[in-house]
This record gives sequence, C-alpha cells and structure tokens, in this order.
Amino acid sequence: MLQKKICMLGGFAVGKTSLVRRFVQSIFSENYLTTVGVKIDKKSVVFPDKTVDLILWDLAGEDDIGSFRVSYVRGATGLVLVVDGTRPATLAVALTLRERCEAEFGAMPFILLFNKSDLTDRWAISDGEIDELKQRGWQIYLTSALSGEHVDDAFRQLASMVAK
Amino acid sequence: MVEIARNVDPDNHALYEGVPAADHRLERLRQLLVGGEISELSRVTHLLDEPEQLATAVGNVLPEATARASHTQLGEALAPAVERAAQRSIQKNPNTLTDILYPVFLPAIRKSIGEKIDQTFQSLNESLRHIFTWHGLKWRFEAWRTGTSFSAVVLKHSLIYRVEHVFLISRASGLLIAHVTSQDATSEDPQLISSMLSAIQDFVKDSFKEKENSGLDTIRFGELRLWSEVGQFATLVAVIRGNPPEELHEVIRDVLLRIHQESSRALERFDGDSSQLPGVETQLQTCVELQHMDSKEGFPWLVVTAVLLALIVAGGWYFLSWQSAHRWQAYLSRLAAQPGIVVSDQKIRGGDFYVAGLRDPLAADPQSLLPGTDVDPARVHSNWQFYQSFEPQFVLKRLSASLAPPDSVRLSVVDGRIVAEGEATTTWINRARAAAQQLSAGGPVFDISRVRDVSAEDRWQAYVSRLQTQPGIIVADQNVRDGQFYITGLRDPLAADPQSLLAETQVDPARVHASWQFYQSLEPQFVLKRLTASLTPPDSVRLSVVNDRIVAAGEATTAWINRARAAAQQLSAGGPVFDISGVRDVSPEERWQAYVSRLETQPGIIVAQQNVRDGQFYITGLRDPLAVDPQSLLSGTQVDPARVHASWQFYQSLEPAFVLKRLTASLYPMDKVRLSIVNGRIVAEGEAPDTWIDRARAAARQLSEGGPEFDISKVRDVSPDARAAEHWQYYVSRLEAQPGIIVAQQSARGGQFYISGLRDPLAADPQALLSGTQVDPARVHSQWQFYQSLDPKFVVKRLTASLSPPKSVRLSIVQGRIVIVGEAPAGWISRAQAAADQLSADGVVLDVSQLSELNLAELNQLREAIQTTDIYFSSGRVVPGPEQTPVLDRLADQLKEFAENARKAGVTARFMLTGHSDITGRETANASISAARAETVRALLNKRGVAPELLQVRGAGTFEPAVPENENSPTGNSTNRRVSVTVNLE
Ligand SMILES: Nc1nc2c(ncn2[C@@H]2O[C@H](COP(=O)(O)OP(=O)(O)O)[C@@H](O)[C@H]2O)c(=O)[nH]1
Ligand SMILES: [Mg+2]
Repeated sequence: MLQKKICMLGGFAVGKTSLVRRFVQSIFSENYLTTVGVKIDKKSVVFPDKTVDLILWDLAGEDDIGSFRVSYVRGATGLVLVVDGTRPATLAVALTLRERCEAEFGAMPFILLFNKSDLTDRWAISDGEIDELKQRGWQIYLTSALSGEHVDDAFRQLASMVAK
Repeated sequence: MVEIARNVDPDNHALYEGVPAADHRLERLRQLLVGGEISELSRVTHLLDEPEQLATAVGNVLPEATARASHTQLGEALAPAVERAAQRSIQKNPNTLTDILYPVFLPAIRKSIGEKIDQTFQSLNESLRHIFTWHGLKWRFEAWRTGTSFSAVVLKHSLIYRVEHVFLISRASGLLIAHVTSQDATSEDPQLISSMLSAIQDFVKDSFKEKENSGLDTIRFGELRLWSEVGQFATLVAVIRGNPPEELHEVIRDVLLRIHQESSRALERFDGDSSQLPGVETQLQTCVELQHMDSKEGFPWLVVTAVLLALIVAGGWYFLSWQSAHRWQAYLSRLAAQPGIVVSDQKIRGGDFYVAGLRDPLAADPQSLLPGTDVDPARVHSNWQFYQSFEPQFVLKRLSASLAPPDSVRLSVVDGRIVAEGEATTTWINRARAAAQQLSAGGPVFDISRVRDVSAEDRWQAYVSRLQTQPGIIVADQNVRDGQFYITGLRDPLAADPQSLLAETQVDPARVHASWQFYQSLEPQFVLKRLTASLTPPDSVRLSVVNDRIVAAGEATTAWINRARAAAQQLSAGGPVFDISGVRDVSPEERWQAYVSRLETQPGIIVAQQNVRDGQFYITGLRDPLAVDPQSLLSGTQVDPARVHASWQFYQSLEPAFVLKRLTASLYPMDKVRLSIVNGRIVAEGEAPDTWIDRARAAARQLSEGGPEFDISKVRDVSPDARAAEHWQYYVSRLEAQPGIIVAQQSARGGQFYISGLRDPLAADPQALLSGTQVDPARVHSQWQFYQSLDPKFVVKRLTASLSPPKSVRLSIVQGRIVIVGEAPAGWISRAQAAADQLSADGVVLDVSQLSELNLAELNQLREAIQTTDIYFSSGRVVPGPEQTPVLDRLADQLKEFAENARKAGVTARFMLTGHSDITGRETANASISAARAETVRALLNKRGVAPELLQVRGAGTFEPAVPENENSPTGNSTNRRVSVTVNLE
C-alpha cells in the first residue's frame, strides 16, 4: 500500500471541489467541507510497476488567505494548485498559498491547474504568461472540471511525481 | 630590605616612612628574589580577570569536580537551576521535553494505573471471597487455571465487547499505516476513514484550542466506540462494539507503545509506503483478538446438559461419526438427484462436511434439502456457483418467466422438446421465435409451430367485414388456409379499391389472394355517379338520390334535356328511375337575361345598354378595375361566349367598398391601422405616425368631392412616442459609451423609461448626461448601484482621492498600467506600495518602482529651528511678557511654513507645546501652571494663524527642567519657566 497525501489549494470557487468530484467518486458528503473545513477522497492511480493511492484533501474557504488552515497541509507530499482561468487574480492566491505551505513544511511537488478551460470566451490568462511559468519547470495543465479535459492527465502526473 | 618588606606586606609601608620611594637597586633585588613569582602571579590574575579564559579553565575540570563533589550538596546546589532550565524549555516548546520523556512516562503511567486497578481488584476480591455460587465456582476455577485474580475474572465476565477495527494512523499526514479488522466486521475504505479521523481531530484541536496530544480519545456512536491513543508519531484508533472495560485502554496503549519502541524510526519517517512497516499488522492483530462474549447460561441445566453431552460424546463418538458420514452420503445422493444441481466435489474433514458444485437459480435450495437428513447444517460448508441448466424443465421455467405466454398458449415438455401450443399474437410469436433461436445453441428444441397467429386472422376478418359494407363491392367468398387469405367477389369500377383498403389494415398483402370481377352496380348512387360523368350537367342542374330514384332539378337547354331523356330510357330496363321532370327547358334569351341581371347586381359594374339581335348578344357599360370580371361570370350560364359582344369602360367606383380597396392600396396603412366601412363611411382606427396621418388627411380631402366620407379622427398620432424612444436610445448609447458606467437593463414601457446598472462613484452622473438628449427626466426611472470600476482611469481617480498624493508625484496611465513617478516621503511610498499589492489581486498593475524618497533636509532645518525656540514666562505668570511677542511671531511663521511644506510632501505635521515651571511652589500648582502656559501659547499661536488642530498641549510641571534647579534659590530658575515645542510628522 503506497499512499500520498495531496492538498487541493486555490482561491474561492476556482473549481477544487469540482475537480476532485470529476476525478473520483466520493464516499463522504460534501457537508464535511462546511463543517470540518475539509473533505477527503481517495483515488488509486495505477502504474505498470505500482499503484499509488492519492488521498486528496479538499480544503474549504481559502478565499481569505488569512483564515487558511496550514495545519491541514501537514504531512502532505504534493499540492494541486488550482487557478480559475477566467480570474487572473486567483493565480496570485494559489501561489501565495503555496508559499505559505512551503514556508511551513518545505518544498514539495505540485501541479498548477488553470481550470475552467471550457470558458474560452472569458479566458483571461495569456499563453505567454503560461509559457513563462512553464519556463520555471512547473507542471501546468489547462483543465475543465466541466468537460473533464486534462483532469486525469494532471492527477496522473502528480501521482508519478509524488511516487518517486 | 625595608623595600622588600614593604613589597611583601603593604602595612610596613606606614611603618618605615623614612625610606626613599624609588631606589633602582631595590628594584633589581626584588627582581632577583621574587621575579618568577610575580610573573606567575600576574598570569593567574589575568586568568581570573578574563571571563573567557576562566571559563575554559573551569570547563576543563568541571566534570571531574562534579564527580568528586559530595552528592547531596551538589544535588541541592544544582536543583534550582535544573528546575528553571526545564521550566524555560517547556515554556519555549513543550514538545522537546515531551519527546524526550515520552518513552519514559508512558510505561510509568501505565504502571501506576495498573497498580490502581490491582487495588480495586483486591478489594473486590475480599467482598467476593465468600460467595459460593455456580458462577463463583466456575470463575474461581478460571482464576486458578489462568493464574489471574478472581476479581479480574468477575470483572471480565460482566463486560461484553469486541474490538472490530484497529487503525494505526500517521500523526504527521493522517495517512493510514495499517488497519486490521476482526473476522466479519466491515467498513468503508479504511484509508479515507483514517484521514478523515485525523482531520476531525485537527479540527477539534484547532476549534477548541485543545492542547497538543490530547485529541479526541473517545467518541461514541450508539453501539460503537472509537477509542484513540495518541503516540509520538502515530495514533491508534480502535473501533469497539459493546461495553469495553477500562483496562482495554491500557492494552491499546501498550500495543501502541510496543509499536513505537520497535519501529520508532520507520514511524517517524513514514511517507505513505506501508511496506516499510511490515510487522505492525501482527501487533495490531492482538488488539482485534480482544473480545469477550458471555453467553447467558442457566445454572443447573447447563451442568446437566454438559455432563450428559460429555458422556454421549465420549461413548458414542465412533458411532456418531460413522452415522454422520452415512447421513452425509444420503444428503449428497439426494442433491445429485435434484435437477439443476451438479455436485462437483465433496469431502469430510474433521467432522465437517464440504461440498462444492453448480446449481441453477431455479433449482431447489441445497440448504433447504438438509432438514430431514439429520446432517448438522452448522457443519456443512458449501460452495455453490450459479449456472443455467439446460434440462428441459428448467428451460421451460425460464421461458415461462421470460416470455410470459398468454393464457391461450400452453408450454409443455414432450420427449425432451419444449412444445408451445395454442393461439398468440404475432409479437409474442416473434419473441418466442427469437428464444427458440437462442436455445438452438445447445439447449432443448423449442417448437412453436403449433401456435396459431391469431392477430393476423382477426385483422383479416375485420378487413372482410369492412369490404362487405362498401357500396359497389360484393364479397362472394373468403377463407383462411395455412396462414393465407383468399377472397373473391364483384366490384364496381367506381367503388372503393379493395387493395387500397387493405393498406390500412396491417394484413400482410403478400398473403392475400384476391380475385375481383368488375360489374356495374345498379345501386342508385353508382348510377348517379355514372350519369354525372356521362351527362356533364350544367351548373344550373342538380342531381340527387331521393328514395332510390335519381332526380334532376333546375334549368337546362333543350339539347341537354334530350340527352338526359335518352339515358332515362336506357335505365328503365332494370335500373333505378331517372326523373328529369324537374328540369325546366330555358331559351338562350332567358339565359342572357339572367346573366345581365346578375351583372347589374355586381358592385362596381354599371350596365349602360344591352340588346339581342339575330341570335347575338350586345352589352356596354362601366366597370371598376377592382370589380369582378364580367367575362368570368359568363361561364356556367350556358350563354355561348362566342355570341356575346361586350364593350366595357373603366371608371372609379365611389362605392365605399371600392374606395376602401383603393385606399388600402394607395395609403399602405400601417400594421396598427384598421380600415372599415361603417354606415357607408370609411373609418380608420389605430395608431400611426404623423406622416401617414398627413397622407390620409389628403386622401380624405379628395374623397370629400362626391366620395364616401373618410374618417381618420380615430387614428392616434404616435409620433411623439416614437421620437421619444429614439431620444431614449440615444441617451442609453451615450451612457454605454461612458467609462465607469455599465448598463445592465433598459426598457421603454407606456411612455416611461426604465434603466438599471452599475456606476462608479467617480464616473459621470447619469442624471447629468440627460440634459441635451430631449428625454423628459420626469419619465426616466433609473436604478444605479455603485461599483468600483477597474478601468485604470478610475483607479487613478480613486488613488488620487485615497492616497492624496503629494505635489511631487505624478500618476499616469501607460499602456493600461498605472505608473507613479516622483518623490514622496517614505510613509507615503509604503502606503502606495500597499495599494499596489491590493490592486494586483484585482489584476490592476500599479507601478511604484519609479518613486523615490523625498529629501527632507530643508524641513529638517526648519524643524531644528522650531524645536530650539522657547517662550519664557515671569514667575507665577501664565501669559508671556511683551518681550516674547517677536519670538511668538517668528515661531508662528515657522510653524505655518513647516506645516505647509509637510503637507506638500504628503505628511501631516503636528506640534506639541509643552509647558514647564520652576520648582518653587507646590507640585500640583506647578503642574497646572505649566499646562496653562502651554494653553496660552496655543491661543497666541492660533491668533497668529496657526491652525489649532495642528497644536497639541501638555504640562510637564517641574519634571523636564531645561537647566538643573538650585534647591536653595528662592525664586526658581527663570530658564525653566517656559513653553517648548516639538515637531511630529504623521
Ligand atoms: N464552466 C466551468 N465551471 C466550473 C469548472 N470548475 C468549477 N466550475 C464551477 O465553479 C464554481 C465553483 O466550483 P467549486 O468546485 O465549488 O470551487 P471550489 O471553491 O474551488 O471548491 C461551481 O459553480 C462550479 O460549477 C470548470 O472547469 N468549468
Ligand atoms: Mg470547494
């Protein structure tokens, strides 16, 4: 049994919960999100030589960065940073959250998702900007929780990164 | 020698006063005698004086010294320091010490709890000692056998519980390290449960500010309890059903401790790979084996039964085992005889019976066959796999279930074949055919040939009876043979086509064999049809069937009447009567007259003259182009057009109907205008723009000379509304073009205009934009919500308002970015930076990189001048003397200049006026005098134009003297009776 704790990080309504819902069938009610502030799901990702169980922690209400419970990230091996591609300001939010986690627990692997790629007419992130981030060697995906585009690929990539 | 003595003992110095102080020979002597000692002494002194060197020296001997010291004394001396050190460490971070002590104190706690429980048991033991019951005996025996105390056994038996799950959870990540369950317990995904448990623990800890390590140790859900034990690196959670004893905590703690002891490093480094902790599961296993289930036995019966049983078991063991094997065989052969059950394997081992095989879900339940065989069901372990048997009776059952045959169909097994008989609809037969097809692969034959397709026959009968009711069709014979339909008969060519009727019945045409012979029906309506076709009666003649007779009535030419008479003659031989007596013979002249009078009744046609000459007809007159064509009226009158000579002149009829038509054509009335004729007048009603109304008015004027009246008074002129709507649209588009205004919705209803949307407080006022648009403000209803536009122009406006930039900086927009250039004080720059940070979250760039800190040198000089100015007072006075006036004048100017310059630089200057007094008089009096002096100066400065809100006052009494006071001076120091000024920048 090889498991890895993964935290979903990103601003309010960027689609964290929707992405998890798209990637995995839940057993816990989403009520936990509002009551306990976190919902946990599991997804097994199968590789030829091993199977990794991703334990996904979806945290609620990170809109206000100040109220973010860093303690929930303790013990995590990887992060999924989610940005709403129609709201450029959420990129800064995601990056700030990552900085806070790294300050507390050190660097860890992450993927950066620009979500809601189906909303092409309201898309507000330029290709140049994304290329620039890619230059830093970051793993970046344009996802849509609505259509499912690239969602599996992204999580698979993260699974292979944390399983090393 | 004296010198030596003096050097050795300084007291001698006083004794031998008369000796010269410096004699170099003595110095030499001293060097010779004690030179070595002196240098050694100075080395030691140096050592003692230099803390670093001393520390090194003491450090070298400290361990040795401690070892040799008296133990009690050393302990006492060190105890306070060590205690303080421990306290400090705990205050700083309790975890350090906890981690150090953890392996120590857990066993200690365990031990003390154990002792406590032992004590309890002991006292219980006392009270139970003399109780002599069956239970008592039994439990005593158990205590003796197991070597535990009697009371422990008593306690154990009154607690019934079972540990169903044990989770070992990593404290750092909440990941599951290991999980074991008792045999038949189930749960959802243990990995998720463990993470969720740890998240909930975190949550509780955060929410109730619980201390570290004291998470939730027990949670209860009805029958289930969650007990958790928190260890250094891992938490152990046990899920217990029932009523566990307290000591179970200890057992669990014990297991956790053992796991920590054995695998502490692996636990600490746990990263989700549980293969690194292989032995843990066995440890946890010891937890789930913990259970106690006490059965509720009655006292004497149990003993009796037990003894009897023991006897029987001992005596009849061989017999029984032989007998049970025998019975087992009987059961097996019974099973084997069951259709739909195939036994593939069976054996007897250790008194238990094992059987495996296949069974059809429709076959008898092997379990239900057990009763009556005397085989103990509890010892039977069966492993059945379902399969579908092809034995005909199973197939029959399945077919009955799946095909649901109608009552009229019977299924039976005949010689291993399944036969269906009876009547069914085509759809059912088709389904049955498909089933038969499927079965043909290995299953028994399913014969459906004996099912008659009733639906087709029903349909056929319906078709036949429909044909029989058709006039002109006579069905002579029909029958059904081998699914084929046969029909013969007669049909009139004018009757309905039997073939086309077939198409509506869903009877398969390929199976219908029809043979029809044509005949002429003498039924009156067929005769009528034929007559109509052959005689082509004129419009003025009507043929009908009256009481089976065919009757012609109306008017016709002689020629036609003659042909009709011939036909009547023919029919008289067997056919229905053809009565033409009702047809009046009309002459061509009569018919012409009928035509002319018809023309005369036509509106828009005026016949001027007509006559008949030599068999030719002449007519002249006027006709309106919109009236009917006289020529077209000729046809059907039986007047020969070749003999008609007409000459028509066009004119415009003034009959209202024609005028209406003409108006409709010429005015193109709008959608919203309706024209109609009311009492010979033409009336227009509805709405139209003024241009249309003008044209209509002109037409009405024309008509007034002889034509019918054209009344347009009921048409409402809608042009003002239309124009207002245009103006409104213009206003809306103007608003939409405004930066900082977003129009969400707008509409015009009933002459009123509604608009709603968002506006930046800094955008143009929508109300103000109304002027010049010709829109009536009273008819505009607007609803604006304020919002903050992120348009850089607006952001600049807002920044200007909120940051109040000093004159020395300039805000501008460069390619959508806001750039601040110039010099500003540090405080302002940091506020601008904060604004930039905030804006970046909204995606607006505010570039402050070109701001540099303002040079405050000039201000500093002025500040210096102000702060060195003092206003002096006479003793006991709170108003400065006249000699201070120039000082006050200059100070006021300086303050004003400083305040102004500070404002330009973006900061606010405030001046603190502090009053002071000398030390004569009581302290309370001095305090109030000093405050009063400051107040006076504020008033005087205010009079000189310094804004009062920039001036703050305080009284320092005698506490901040400018020069030290001489306690003895009766008047006090005049320099201290003053008001001083300090400058603060905000
Ligand atoms: N069109 C579109 N909408 C999305 C997508 N992902 C999430 N949403 C919507 O965005 C809203 C917020 O999503 P949610 O998952 O609750 O965001 P969270 O606060 O990050 O967990 C919801 O209304 C979702 O339906 C996406 O990929 N495309
Ligand atoms: Mg969410």
